[in-house]
Amino acid sequence: MGFEIKRFQGDVDEELICPICSGVLEDPLQAPACEHAFCRACINEWISRQPTCPVDRQAVTASQLRPVPRILRNLLSRLCTSCDNAPHGCNAVLKLDSLASHLVECEFNPKRPMPCEAGCGLVIPKDELAEHNCVRELRALITSQQGKLTDFQQELAEQRLIINEHKRELALLKEFMRAMRISNPTMRALADQMEREEVIRWANSLTRARVTRWGGMISTPDDVLQVMMIKRSLSESGCPPHIIDDLMENCHERRWPPGLSSLETRQNNRRLYEKYVCKRVPGKQAVLVLQCDNTHVDEHMMVEPGLVMIFAHGIE
Amino acid sequence: MANIAAKRIKREFKEVMNSEEVAGGYIKLALVNDSWTELQGTIVGPPDTPYEGGTFQLEIKVPETYPFNPPKIRFVTKIWHPNVSSVTGAICLDILKDQWAAALTLRTVLLSIQALLSAAEAGDPQDAVVAKQYRESQQLFLLTARHWTNVYAGGPSAIWEFDQKVQRLLDMGIDEHEARVALSHYDWELERATEQLFS
Ligand SMILES: [Zn+2]
Ligand SMILES: [Zn+2]
Ligand SMILES: [Zn+2]
Ligand SMILES: [Zn+2]
Repeated sequence: MGFEIKRFQGDVDEELICPICSGVLEDPLQAPACEHAFCRACINEWISRQPTCPVDRQAVTASQLRPVPRILRNLLSRLCTSCDNAPHGCNAVLKLDSLASHLVECEFNPKRPMPCEAGCGLVIPKDELAEHNCVRELRALITSQQGKLTDFQQELAEQRLIINEHKRELALLKEFMRAMRISNPTMRALADQMEREEVIRWANSLTRARVTRWGGMISTPDDVLQVMMIKRSLSESGCPPHIIDDLMENCHERRWPPGLSSLETRQNNRRLYEKYVCKRVPGKQAVLVLQCDNTHVDEHMMVEPGLVMIFAHGIE
Repeated sequence: MANIAAKRIKREFKEVMNSEEVAGGYIKLALVNDSWTELQGTIVGPPDTPYEGGTFQLEIKVPETYPFNPPKIRFVTKIWHPNVSSVTGAICLDILKDQWAAALTLRTVLLSIQALLSAAEAGDPQDAVVAKQYRESQQLFLLTARHWTNVYAGGPSAIWEFDQKVQRLLDMGIDEHEARVALSHYDWELERATEQLFS
């Protein structure tokens, strides 16, 4: 829609007036044959209702509209206008082509975003600054955030319920799979595949660990105290149940591969330790060396489905 | 009211006020309310027509979507014309309907309505009864139109015979306008008009 004609200094040529809105042409386009010019917004609005020139009713479609000639654009850009914010005290008089850039930084814009100087940290439109009350605004903010928090909590509870539901279904499915596996070789292959993938997914979810002192390794851990603690931690980290018992067995040197099974072999293979990809056992001084992470390691240094190494210290 | 509509109407109002037609007394425009949504137009019946000497009031309603849609205009003053309803005052004029163009103004519209009084479009009637009379008995049509102009629009020429016939029906207790409508519809045959009124 065009610019209010009263904003301009002196007379504005009739050629520069939009016949639709009767304002000064804004971003004008012209009809191809008759060359009648209109504001872009005005003529698009009209053509969406009726594909004709609003002055002489010649057929015109939106795609036929052209930019107006340079001379017309020059005439427009040279017109002198007051600022949009003149009613708010801006006395600037501007060439029409510099109005847009002035408006961006015009200090009299009543909606100019201003930071509150009383320290609440909110950014508010200038004309609301006088009415602004930090405590009230922040209170409103807290209320709205509490509302959101309640919503989130509710959603969380619902999601938990759904997750439990899914867990139960999953357990049933696994049960079913196990039964199927026993009777059908294809199913067995499929199930093995799924189990392998489950282990890999879990392995990828764990963070890498760095062992700074391999000497701190405990090769004969205490079953009840240490091993049970590790098992709980593994279970909580999402360890697939079908490998957890095997893994726990592999805490102890009696189940370790030939390369690790005695103090002597361990001493000989010490330099191979650095090749291990180790994962954290969350919250414990222990690492997991999973087979799926360590396919590059020599066979005599690895067992299925992986090793658990408990340390006295030195895990990062 | 949408900004663009109000802006246009304000400007058009000024345009009409400064026009030669207003200076010459051919058309007039007045505001009805402060919101620029309703105006009252006045046109003078053109010379050499049965409307000559009459002054016709028009109701002009400006829609929210003006000028993308035409103003809604009807005659408030009763008029006998094939393109104007003798009952509601609705006008059948293409530029007030599908031939509306956004660059048309209240001034051009008022002048078009005035021109319609000079040159009726019997092929596109708004009032079928009037149009039939216009086609089939021109003389009677001209007299009827002049009579209506005299009675409703302050036109100068009274038709003595018609006034007499209306008076006859008035004496029978018929409402004056109802009587005139019936007589006009039945080509001023008193018997048929009476029959219709009492049936
Ligand atoms: Zn425009
Ligand atoms: Zn055109
Ligand atoms: Zn400014
Ligand atoms: Zn504040």
